[in-house]
Amino acid sequence: MKKLYVISLIVSVVLLFTMCNKAGIFNESGYDERLSGGMATVFDETSKSFGHEIPFLNERDLAVHEIGDAAFEQTFVSAPAPVNSGLGPIFNNVSCISCHHNDGKGTPTAGFVNSSLLFRLSIPGTDANGGPLPIPGFGGQLQDVAIFGKQPEANVNISYNNINVTYPDGEIVTLRKPTYTVTNAYQSLPSNYLISPRLAPPVFGLGLLQNIPEATILSFADEFDTNGDGISGKPNYVFNSYTHQMELGRFGLKANVPNLLMQVAGAYHQDMGITNYVFPVESSYGQSQSDALNDDPELADSLLNHVVFYIKTLAVPARRNTTDADVQAGKQLFTQLNCSGCHKPVIQTGIDLNISAINNQRIQPFTDLLLHDMGDDLADNRPDFLATGKEWRTAPLWGIGLFAKTNGTPFYLHDGRARTIEEAILWHAGEAQQSKQKFMQLSKTNRLKLLKFIQSL
Amino acid sequence: MKKITLLAITIASISLGACNKNDDTVTDNFETLKTEVLADFTNVVAVKGYADLDNAASALNTAIQNLNTNATEANLTEAKNAWKNMRSIWEKCEGYLFGPVEDNDFDPNMDTWPTDYVQMDSLLASSNPLTVADIQNITLSLRGYHPIEYIIFGDHGSRTAASITARQKAYMVSLSTDLKNTCHELYLSWTAAPTNFAQQVINAGNGSAVYAKKQEAYLAIVEAMIGICDEVGEGKMKEPYVAMDPAIVESPYSGNSVSDFRDNIIGLQNVYLGNLGTANGKGINDLVAAKNISLDNKIQNQISAAINSFNNITVFYEEAIISQRIQCQQTMAALATLKTTLEDELKPFIIQNIQD
Repeated sequence: MKKLYVISLIVSVVLLFTMCNKAGIFNESGYDERLSGGMATVFDETSKSFGHEIPFLNERDLAVHEIGDAAFEQTFVSAPAPVNSGLGPIFNNVSCISCHHNDGKGTPTAGFVNSSLLFRLSIPGTDANGGPLPIPGFGGQLQDVAIFGKQPEANVNISYNNINVTYPDGEIVTLRKPTYTVTNAYQSLPSNYLISPRLAPPVFGLGLLQNIPEATILSFADEFDTNGDGISGKPNYVFNSYTHQMELGRFGLKANVPNLLMQVAGAYHQDMGITNYVFPVESSYGQSQSDALNDDPELADSLLNHVVFYIKTLAVPARRNTTDADVQAGKQLFTQLNCSGCHKPVIQTGIDLNISAINNQRIQPFTDLLLHDMGDDLADNRPDFLATGKEWRTAPLWGIGLFAKTNGTPFYLHDGRARTIEEAILWHAGEAQQSKQKFMQLSKTNRLKLLKFIQSL
Repeated sequence: MKKITLLAITIASISLGACNKNDDTVTDNFETLKTEVLADFTNVVAVKGYADLDNAASALNTAIQNLNTNATEANLTEAKNAWKNMRSIWEKCEGYLFGPVEDNDFDPNMDTWPTDYVQMDSLLASSNPLTVADIQNITLSLRGYHPIEYIIFGDHGSRTAASITARQKAYMVSLSTDLKNTCHELYLSWTAAPTNFAQQVINAGNGSAVYAKKQEAYLAIVEAMIGICDEVGEGKMKEPYVAMDPAIVESPYSGNSVSDFRDNIIGLQNVYLGNLGTANGKGINDLVAAKNISLDNKIQNQISAAINSFNNITVFYEEAIISQRIQCQQTMAALATLKTTLEDELKPFIIQNIQD
């Protein structure tokens, strides 16, 4: 009897551990590579591929998503108006979709109706919370358009100089470096002003990025490069003016925004001049362009929340051509060159019991959401909280192969200077210098394989 | 008995041989169809649609100029008719909102809603020049169809010819010239260098710079069909319906909203059938019918049901969202049904059957 008892106990323990083991993470081959967003992936490779809701939303969530979708496309007009009232008086564009074409990127021009480039402004030093010091009379962002009868803060002229880069095998690629000149300022700018261009990034998959546990992001950090691979990786901590707390920055091209609410509310406020419950005071307050209307907040609280929900629930397009031999070879090169040192291929999201498709998902965002020194040529030389003038947040690469579809003409990097993925790679320097040099030393065939892999994302 | 068996085997062999031959023919036809449908979508529907739009924009511009020179009620009516005619063509073109029309912002440049009354009043009250060049640099909500609509129709068609001011006249002439220029550029984007988008679609999978595979071009077409279904059913109709807010309804000056919605879905039907007006080309329906006749019947019936359901809305849409809510809801339901079929059956059909 005792024997039987011992045997049963041993069998139970073995069974128990086997079950524990089974519940662990599968090995690499157990996952479908195409599912960039895990369950929140959508199969569409057309120009509409960034604009789909994540699968399995319940009826109520789908309705909220759709209201947010419609609001994202709404054009604002000057106040007072029966619908979409409150544009400006100074602004950058008239709707979310005007900059984020097809929920993706846009065109690197400024001040036109189809422009997607804006400029952050500051003067050296930091404000009381460690953020950039706004310029009196201009604030922290240049509004280069105004409603009729008001003057824009200034205009920005963009010009490009060509720079040739030569591969060891003799092939030459021409890059274009932008220069920004501020003109027609409505009042004089201080001579030491700092200016940083920001091209509107794609807005899909952000619910997943917001749901990555803070500890996971911090585990990628190696601020003092203790492992000696030439890559540091630093979290940005930013002041949340709504919660009045310092929080980990995840969004914005310098990880200067803590969450989607602040990102969306800030865009309404600064880019369109639409006041809301997070930013209830006009961006032009105290300036000569300010309106005297007592209509703030101009955006209904529920609409702001619905647009945040819309952004949170936009699905990630699936990868394409994953079984192609060149793509698979390119994937290996991506790791060998240590592109994956910053562009992290796989991350597990945290818990979100409300939306199953973003809950505990194995995603392939190809970012670590950390800041990295990208060298002098890409530097904006304008610090943003802990981000230095040379540091940028690793851009997620998912969906990058579809930019040509969603945007017509694709543009890459924070200011849209790169016209191809190859140009974007060649701009990499600083912590990415080694990887770039290894890329340049590859044979043409292997360079094309790597590019084909990135196109498949 | 043996003979009978032999005979049976012979007959069976012949039958199987015939089946086989038949399959080959179907396959050949399907292969040819795949190319023909793309060519007919491009030439019969898309390019012809944009050519019609280009002509209608010129006709509107002429009518507006006549109204400017001679502000009679007859000329105002002519201008209104020209606007409605052009609007109908444009809404049908929205059945295929992909390519240059979205990449190069043609859509927002001519069809931004709502109109910015405050800025329009300020602009008209000022002495600022109102040349075509000025209009091109103006904000989107002061350009395109709707400001023209506001000036020539007034609130629900209440405008009289005599009440149009000199500044309004100068504004409407430049607006319609700007619209004419935009439509002409849109037409050229499909037919001329550098984009020549028609060739990109026709040559999909055969040297096209935009569509490496035919399947990609087909999916772009089908996604655009799904998109317009969604925009009408879930957007243009649903938003004012849910909010019960007439102010959100598009095209309120001319009371044209229901026609706009219907024309959008007729545009979708044109794309599916490869037809435009009296011209009949090969459409996606031919591809579907070749392999799955019941799916083709289902899609055609659902498109017709959606289009016909608009007939039940007999008042301006601004009123219908209050007084004919059931009819509005039935149309939205018909559009939702159609959208589901396109997403869950037509799209997989394309992915399965057009892989090159």
